[in-house]
Amino acid sequence: MAETRFLKPQKHISQKVRPGGPSMEQAILQAVNAADDLIGQYQGWAVDDLEKLWQSFVETSRSGRADPVRLKQLYDMTHEARGQGGSFGFPLISVVGDSMCKYLEGRPRLKARDLDVIRVHIMAMKAVFRQGLKGHQGALSKELHELLGMFRAKVAQQQAG
Amino acid sequence: MSLETSWESVPASAGHKASMSDGYDFSALRILVVDDSFHMRELVRTFLEGFGIKEVTVSSDAEEAYDLVVNLDPDLIITDWNMAPVSGLEFVERIRKGANVPNRFVPIIMLTGYTEMKRVEEARDAGINSFLAKPISAASLYKRLVTSVQDKRQYVESTGGYFGPDRRSTKRREFRGKERRGGA
Repeated sequence: MAETRFLKPQKHISQKVRPGGPSMEQAILQAVNAADDLIGQYQGWAVDDLEKLWQSFVETSRSGRADPVRLKQLYDMTHEARGQGGSFGFPLISVVGDSMCKYLEGRPRLKARDLDVIRVHIMAMKAVFRQGLKGHQGALSKELHELLGMFRAKVAQQQAG
Repeated sequence: MSLETSWESVPASAGHKASMSDGYDFSALRILVVDDSFHMRELVRTFLEGFGIKEVTVSSDAEEAYDLVVNLDPDLIITDWNMAPVSGLEFVERIRKGANVPNRFVPIIMLTGYTEMKRVEEARDAGINSFLAKPISAASLYKRLVTSVQDKRQYVESTGGYFGPDRRSTKRREFRGKERRGGA
């Protein structure tokens, strides 16, 4: 059985933090304001990244449907888009990216119908940018999440049947 | 060998469990951000600077970041998971086991889009202190920062190979009543 000993750190981050700074609300507001330019630039480079994702999809569909390297690349790019979208003010990109990640996860090869699912997801991301759908978008976000979930489930059911 | 120190040495004013809205002065902190995505690490850096932190160092790969940990001795590390050739997980393990790391107890926040329980447990077993799921916001990052300041967990060194924060849940630790060690 493994032996365990408990230790207390000699240094702790709290030793360098003092009370009396801006309130949480002020600090967050300052941070959001500071990131304003960076967030404003997101759409420009994200559209380029999306084009790379599309190219990766085209190449995978042509010659790498069972190529683990290509599939991993496709997954990683989608995963990146999912993390960045909401962080930079486009949560719908994260909704679509999350759905596509769920679909790709653990899939060793892509069948013809899988390609349709992926195509729809990438086109949905393109539409989000084309329409400039920033922010939470309320009901649309929920609806999109549900529709993509239903689409994935339907294709999975067709493939199982 | 005794690495123990009592929390009484920590200034009474620091890391108090007051409401987050009381406000903290984070300006003296030295933070290392590691992410292979330029945009994500710049966003995290900008948020941290917006919180008043003056010394934020960024790195795009874990190999370089490890040298920075050794040379800069940061107070907090925020690292992405999905990086190559050295992943964020391997980076955390190297820090926790590193003989030449000035402070193996340094708090580490894992920044990742992987939020499945299996992944969370994997990161916890590597020795992270907390998890920050992408997409991130200034508010979620601020809360994690405060959690790091307020987290007074003891660390565990096991002959089984684990070194890192106590992984037992707060509930279980509280169950030990008076025998609980390191409680804030």
